[in-house]
Amino acid sequence: MTHIDQVPTPGAPRPVEIGVKPGTKRTNPFARVFDELVRFAQSRSLFMLHYCTGCGAVELPPAMTSRFDMERLGIQPMVSPRQADILLITGYVSVKTLKRVILTYEQMNSPKYVIGICSCTVNGGMYWQSYATAKKLNDYMPVDIYIAGCMPRPEAVIEGLRGLIENIRTGRADAWKDYYRRYDHYLGNQQRLFGADWQTPTDVIAEARHYDLFGPATLGAHTALLEQHQRPLEALEMRIEIPELMRRRSRSDQGGTAQ
Amino acid sequence: MDWLSAVSLDGLAAVDFRWLGLVLELILMPLIAFVVGLGLVLMLRKIAARLQRRVGPPLLQPLWDIIKLHAKETQTSHGLIHEIGIVMAIGGYVAAVTLLPVPGMNGLAAQGGLIALLYMTMIPSLGLALGVGQCANPNGSIGISRALTAMLAYDVPMVIVIFGVAFHFGSLNLVYLIAAQQAGGIATWGIVQMPLLALAGLFALQGMLGKQPFEIYVAPAEIATGPMVEMGGKFLGGLFVMQCFQLYTAGVLYVALFLGGGENWLTFLFKVFVVTAIPMTIAMVFPRYRTEDMVRLFWKWPTMIGLLGIAFVMN
Repeated sequence: MTHIDQVPTPGAPRPVEIGVKPGTKRTNPFARVFDELVRFAQSRSLFMLHYCTGCGAVELPPAMTSRFDMERLGIQPMVSPRQADILLITGYVSVKTLKRVILTYEQMNSPKYVIGICSCTVNGGMYWQSYATAKKLNDYMPVDIYIAGCMPRPEAVIEGLRGLIENIRTGRADAWKDYYRRYDHYLGNQQRLFGADWQTPTDVIAEARHYDLFGPATLGAHTALLEQHQRPLEALEMRIEIPELMRRRSRSDQGGTAQ
Repeated sequence: MDWLSAVSLDGLAAVDFRWLGLVLELILMPLIAFVVGLGLVLMLRKIAARLQRRVGPPLLQPLWDIIKLHAKETQTSHGLIHEIGIVMAIGGYVAAVTLLPVPGMNGLAAQGGLIALLYMTMIPSLGLALGVGQCANPNGSIGISRALTAMLAYDVPMVIVIFGVAFHFGSLNLVYLIAAQQAGGIATWGIVQMPLLALAGLFALQGMLGKQPFEIYVAPAEIATGPMVEMGGKFLGGLFVMQCFQLYTAGVLYVALFLGGGENWLTFLFKVFVVTAIPMTIAMVFPRYRTEDMVRLFWKWPTMIGLLGIAFVMN
């Protein structure tokens, strides 16, 4: 196992141009119409997975229920990362929580958007001096919109969501592509925090290859480190544990040894 | 098709072109069902919102949801059966819809009959079970086992109701059932002739649509929406399309059995929307029952009411 000191420090993020690759310009005039329709539908229908880690979660029920009613904007809560579009991080993320947040984020289907609510996700907030808290959320995954405040009022939450809707409609909310294009940067920060043998079940590099989202900074020193430790995922052993059956089996085992 | 036979040669004059009309109906009926289903989904969400004193989603929200889900750029498939399962789930209802007569179009209703229709409405659950099985998510497996148990529960009163109605009218042909109800006016409607069976049918409808209190197989807070847990992107989009067809099928079946079908599109759609609104309104005031309680309830009250209704019908 590699010691934590052997993990190279990620440098300053290199700017990567995001957009349609040159040479793939579309000539079909209806393609643009179709894209705009899709973008409009995407902005008007957002399924939200709220990862309620901190106090900001308190502000969501009023935003969702009769007082402010998010469903007017087409936003509704969902319960599984596969179904969701928005990952809502409400409050501080401890190192342990951040692992789960990253697993959840990688399981979501793109296009996916991350919203950081409360100042704790922006810069650590009042947990700045804590040894167990991740300070800046966008070191570990691309964040589309921060809603600052401690805690932001439901009006501010709705305002932030409206901003995201506008970004999606105009095609500017493509931070999720950044996770594929600069995976090395994000993985490096994750390795600094969780240790060199950090590995998630989702193969981000393979996904980047498959969906043609490979960027110049997808591979690097940190992905090389990941490849050293990466174990292929195996299906979990299927086992039915019925207490009565197991007790009987252990009893017969004991009987066998007594003879 | 007069002009067609006029231009054809003498030898071809005898060729029957009625099949063209049938093909057109088979294409149109699922399309209409989908559009009406979108309206039904919107109505359900609006009712839920109004009962919670919210404004609710805008007019085209169900459509935006479906477009957005199919336009996801990365799709997580768990294998071939996962995809075929969704196709079966939609396909079963598309087949069922062609067996349901609507004003002006009979489709295959006269040839199919109620038994075939009952079979078709079971295919989606089985397809979903196949698809969820390949996802290998424990929440999904628990959810689908509950869904199939629920199907076992509500199908007993459902079959009793359909048998009772068929016995009363002496036919399994939906076209004949509707014609017989329309001929005599409201007094010959199923709901007036067989109120007990209509009540049992309403119970079964609640279970068939999977609305509270019979919603245990979805249970978002407990098993993360059960069968839908691994469905993202186009798979969830397919299930949203399936939901449109499901609401339409359940509503139209009830209207055809008890409310005299539709004389024209206006009364037909009015009846369908009213019938579908009933389970949703009941759902919003109930928590959910456990699976065993649900089976017990279904095999006791609607079954008893249905059997009593059959006793009256047979007299």
